[in-house]
Amino acid sequence: MSVLKWLSVVIALLSAVVVTGLLLLTTGRAGTPIAVGYPTIALIAAGLGLLPGIVLWLVAASYEAELRRTITCTEALEEDGPPQLFRSCFGFGPLLEAHQRTVETLGSRLKRMADQRLDLEVELRVAEGRRQHLEAILNSISDAVIVTDAFNEAVLANEAAAHLLQFDLDPALRQPIEHIVADPTLVKLIKDTRESSYAGSRGRRRHIEHRMGCNGRVTVYDVTLTCVASSPTGANTNRADGSGPFLDVGAGVITILRDITREKEIAEMKSEFVSSVSHELRTPLASIKAYMEMLIDGEAADEQTQAEFYHIIQAETTRLSRLIDNILNLSRIESGVVRVQRKQIALAPVVKEAVDIMQPQGRAKQITLEERPCLAAVQVLADRDMILQVLLNLMGNAVKYTRAGGHITVVLSADENERLARIAVIDTGVGVPQPDLPHLFEKFYRVVSHRKLAEGTGLGLNLVKHVVESVHGGSVSVTSEIGKGSAFTFALPMAENG
Amino acid sequence: MNETPLILVVDDEAHILHVVSLKLQNAGYRVVTASDGEDGLAKAVEHQPDLVITDYQMPFMTGLELCTKLKEHEQTRTVPAVMLTARGFSLASESLDRTNITTVLSKPFSPREILARVQELTDPHRQETRAKGTV
Repeated sequence: MSVLKWLSVVIALLSAVVVTGLLLLTTGRAGTPIAVGYPTIALIAAGLGLLPGIVLWLVAASYEAELRRTITCTEALEEDGPPQLFRSCFGFGPLLEAHQRTVETLGSRLKRMADQRLDLEVELRVAEGRRQHLEAILNSISDAVIVTDAFNEAVLANEAAAHLLQFDLDPALRQPIEHIVADPTLVKLIKDTRESSYAGSRGRRRHIEHRMGCNGRVTVYDVTLTCVASSPTGANTNRADGSGPFLDVGAGVITILRDITREKEIAEMKSEFVSSVSHELRTPLASIKAYMEMLIDGEAADEQTQAEFYHIIQAETTRLSRLIDNILNLSRIESGVVRVQRKQIALAPVVKEAVDIMQPQGRAKQITLEERPCLAAVQVLADRDMILQVLLNLMGNAVKYTRAGGHITVVLSADENERLARIAVIDTGVGVPQPDLPHLFEKFYRVVSHRKLAEGTGLGLNLVKHVVESVHGGSVSVTSEIGKGSAFTFALPMAENG
Repeated sequence: MNETPLILVVDDEAHILHVVSLKLQNAGYRVVTASDGEDGLAKAVEHQPDLVITDYQMPFMTGLELCTKLKEHEQTRTVPAVMLTARGFSLASESLDRTNITTVLSKPFSPREILARVQELTDPHRQETRAKGTV
């Protein structure tokens, strides 16, 4: 029961008591005789007194009913039900209409917000996708990339940078650059670039060659430093009072480190190669020119000396053309334009020919050259000229790196189980240091400690590898011991009926 | 002092050694040969030649190192030298300052030119400026 109803009960009782009391007092004081008795008067008075209470009760009940209906309708509105408007005696109709309008307005606002939320969710997903895409791109770059902000803190870095500078990718973000980059020169470069942005060099790229010690070896990097601004124009933002530029918080430096150690090495190798080729070409040319001049000047006293000179000129011309062949063949094999003439050939005669060609060079250095042919007739499917060149290159090296009085043996053998023909060129030379062995067959590679022993182009063994492995499907190997000698072996698949 | 100058020729290329020696011998010079730097140094000390003709690129010791050692050695410090080189670069002057190299000839060379330089360098008038004690 509502307060209003309780109030109407109280009012009814009170008014009944008051009216009854007043009537009794009035009649009692006047002393007027009355036709009816006191109880009747009291009853009438109580009845009259109760009347306003009853009326108030009815009004309260009606008000309460309308209120309840209004609440029900409002609840229906909230639940998106159809509006149930009614005529209200207490003015709840306009209230309900106002409620309805409010609910409608709120509803449309909520819908707009839900739509906006949906749009934002889609945008967020797209942005997240883009971020992941960019991250994947950034991580696929093999060069180290570090992005620092206006406070010289790393805000973005790729895996290559993390690997190179040895920091953990995520925790490194938002860390002062000097905490993740140990090299003080690089840190200074980044900070200087950042500061130079105030001097109007924003957006300009700087390329610096920088050497850094890493994992015990010095690596050369091409460092690209680019200063970026948050404003698209990249212009300097000056304070209104002209006191100086604002700290552009969105601005930063993109640092890219590209490892150019190998490029540098190749450039040095090429330079060394040009110098070596020059020496290799000039040496036989010097002999040819000198002996020709001697013949022209009549300095060869007799026919025997003249014949000797002609032979030297011929041998040196062959040496020169062999070197040119080496260079050209390597370039042809590498570019895939070489014409390979594969025929079934016996290896023993090729070995003999190679030994015969090299004999004069061996004799000149007092080195014994011998062949140890295989008893079985070993046949392979190969390009004879190419195999001869392989043998001459291996034996040429053996002669170069063996001191006077040494021996060079060429051993031909057949491995019937694996169907392989093996040729080993074994010398008693200076040997190759263990660390150089894996690199011996690389292009332009020359053993540092051998550079003083003999000239070379660093092409001979590379050509051997190409001819044996790429062209003939064979394999090359080397074993060596310092001061004892080396053994270069190559194996070729034997011909089917060989 | 012997009338005929003695020339030491050092080169690891047997043919070059042969042709240079022959040219000089035909012109009346006495010739000693060596096939590498170490051998060259030993022979220079032993024979004390009037002139050394050496190749640059040789096993164990370059011609430049040989000439530097010759200048450092008491008995050979005044012997002039002619350098033959097949490498396409010029030698640094500070390296040459530590030697008695007076002429650098690049390969391929002309034996006539070598002879002309030898004659010039072994000229008796120039010999006078050299220290005593040669063959």
